[in-house]
Amino acid sequence: MSSMSAIPTMSALASTSEILLAVENVTLRFGGVTAINGVSFDIRKGEIRAIIGPNGAGKTSMLNCINGFYHPQEGRITYKGETRQRMRPYVAASQGIARTFQNVALFKGMTTLDNIMTGRTLKMSANIFWQMLRLGPALADEIRHREYCEEIIDFLEIEAIRKTPVGRLPYGLQKRVELARALAMQPDLLLLDEPMAGMNLEEKQDMCRFIIDVNKTFGTTIALIEHDMGVVMDLSDRVVVLEYGRKIADGTPDDVKSDQKVIDAYLGVSH
Amino acid sequence: MGQFKTSYAKDMVIFPIRQDRIGVYLLLGFALVLLPLMMAFHVPPFRTDYFLLAILLPFLILSLAAIGVNILVGYCGQISLGSGAFMAIGAYMAYKFGTGISEIGLPPLPIVFAILLGGLSAAFFGVLFGLPSLRIKGLYLAVATLAAQFFFDWVFLRVKWFTNYAPSGSVSAPELKFFGYLVATPVEKYMVALIFVIVFALIAKNLVRGNIGRQWMAIRDMDIAAELMGIRPLVAKLSAFAVSSFIIGVAGALWAFLRLGTWEPLAFDINRSLELLFMVIIGGLGSILGSFLGAAFILIVPIFLTVLPAELGIPITTGTVSHLQNVIFGGMICCILIKEPLGFARLWQIGKEKLRMWPFPY
Ligand SMILES: Nc1ncnc2c1ncn2[C@@H]1O[C@H](COP(=O)(O)OP(=O)(O)OP(=O)(O)O)[C@@H](O)[C@H]1O
Ligand SMILES: [Mg+2]
Repeated sequence: MSSMSAIPTMSALASTSEILLAVENVTLRFGGVTAINGVSFDIRKGEIRAIIGPNGAGKTSMLNCINGFYHPQEGRITYKGETRQRMRPYVAASQGIARTFQNVALFKGMTTLDNIMTGRTLKMSANIFWQMLRLGPALADEIRHREYCEEIIDFLEIEAIRKTPVGRLPYGLQKRVELARALAMQPDLLLLDEPMAGMNLEEKQDMCRFIIDVNKTFGTTIALIEHDMGVVMDLSDRVVVLEYGRKIADGTPDDVKSDQKVIDAYLGVSH
Repeated sequence: MGQFKTSYAKDMVIFPIRQDRIGVYLLLGFALVLLPLMMAFHVPPFRTDYFLLAILLPFLILSLAAIGVNILVGYCGQISLGSGAFMAIGAYMAYKFGTGISEIGLPPLPIVFAILLGGLSAAFFGVLFGLPSLRIKGLYLAVATLAAQFFFDWVFLRVKWFTNYAPSGSVSAPELKFFGYLVATPVEKYMVALIFVIVFALIAKNLVRGNIGRQWMAIRDMDIAAELMGIRPLVAKLSAFAVSSFIIGVAGALWAFLRLGTWEPLAFDINRSLELLFMVIIGGLGSILGSFLGAAFILIVPIFLTVLPAELGIPITTGTVSHLQNVIFGGMICCILIKEPLGFARLWQIGKEKLRMWPFPY
């Protein structure tokens, strides 16, 4: 991924900007298994923050805590200056947190366009009676949000598959549609769980470009889980490293790369 | 910007493909004008009222009920075995509103309001019996809706208030006066049913391609992801139960008033629920068109099985016919669930795609 290294990072900007999300001493257990063990880190506004670590380190669980799908037994999560207790995922969504999934979680029976349009749900206001008639506010909603979705479709270069049921799309494209659906929410914080897993080199490069563009053009803060170290080093402003549910390192890509604990953790794990 | 607007608006009309649009207009013209004319002049197959009363009218009303079932089962993915009960609620409550509720000093209401209020009552109980869906799924939900079915079977049989204390237990529809016009002949009944079906099919189609419809389908396809998109399962599921039961309730009232005239709770038992479920599975889950195709199929097969052997001179008893029927439906449902889960509607779509490319499939 040498082509990527030319892209400048935004670390200078990120280190000075305010904290969007702070995770403090979070512990999450499933019965006897401690998936996350006293982890603290923060995400600054406008940065790309990578979360890395070997399989089973607790990365996905961390995202699930952030968007309210799991509720940690201990610790605090503060988002936009507000510390929350238990919250439902749709509340997190309404506060501007969007995500994609490690295993694609698209709505299989719907077209690409409809999938992306679901991302606009929270922004639509016409009541069910207008929707029955599909007139007035309901039609205005449909047209206005369709326009926005079409912009995202152009941006991610998926015009050709607009009307295709997503179940029929190849894996790489499904991942891209999933990103589109998350972007349709106009999130302040975008959580990406291994957005490039299972992709070929070309698809990976496209996806990297999209992630950087999203971050630059929309100013979206991104938390990214990724196994490809080249990608992580190129994209991210700061990296947090988890192993067996604990944080073992946190810092710029260069710091992390030379950290002995990280090197040990990844020893024997092929990437 | 204005350019965009018109082009997206155009892209979002109900039938974006020209052939489809023409086809639907032709069908509407046929159903609204030509058929009634043929009926009025007793052109075959309308020599007797049999075809009209035993096939066309049931087809229309059951298609409407199937649309209701499809919204819940096909679009929102919530299995229901209680559709018959919601038809019954629509029928009995429409009857109560149509004959007046003296206990609260309510005079007999005009028939259209009675029917719509019947639907509304069904929607209310639909939401109530939909509450378990927030906790349970699949088989367990099916059992809960089955409980609704048996509960209402019992209620309408035992609670005499619903039948205005008729000693026989059966009730008769109030006078069918629609906006001052007395509906008596089969043709008039057909027209009333047709208008209801057109209006509600349009409403259903609008809902499923709009915001709420996308929420239903999102919940059906992947409820966890849907919730993370900001879709509230409570709102999506209960609205599906409400809309679905409303339409089923209206269909129930029409079935009682137009088709049966006089009825007992048995008209809306578990067999009706299963029949409706078969219709949407065979016709196509998650398709309004499929609801019509499924209803047509389920109604036509038994007639076909009775008429064809008779024409060919093969002796066949009614018992054999109903066994054969079960074999055919059972076999078809197995095939469809395994091979083509989207039913006839999907086959129709595939056929159209093939035809559009024919003879140059590139
Ligand atoms: N719902 C759950 N129930 C029980 N255990 C769970 C659950 N979710 C995660 N775990 C456990 O928590 C630990 C962390 O899992 P998690 O999925 O967060 O890892 P990960 O870092 O995302 O790994 P991978 O790289 O394989 O995706 C694992 O041991 C896993 O088995
Ligand atoms: Mg994971």
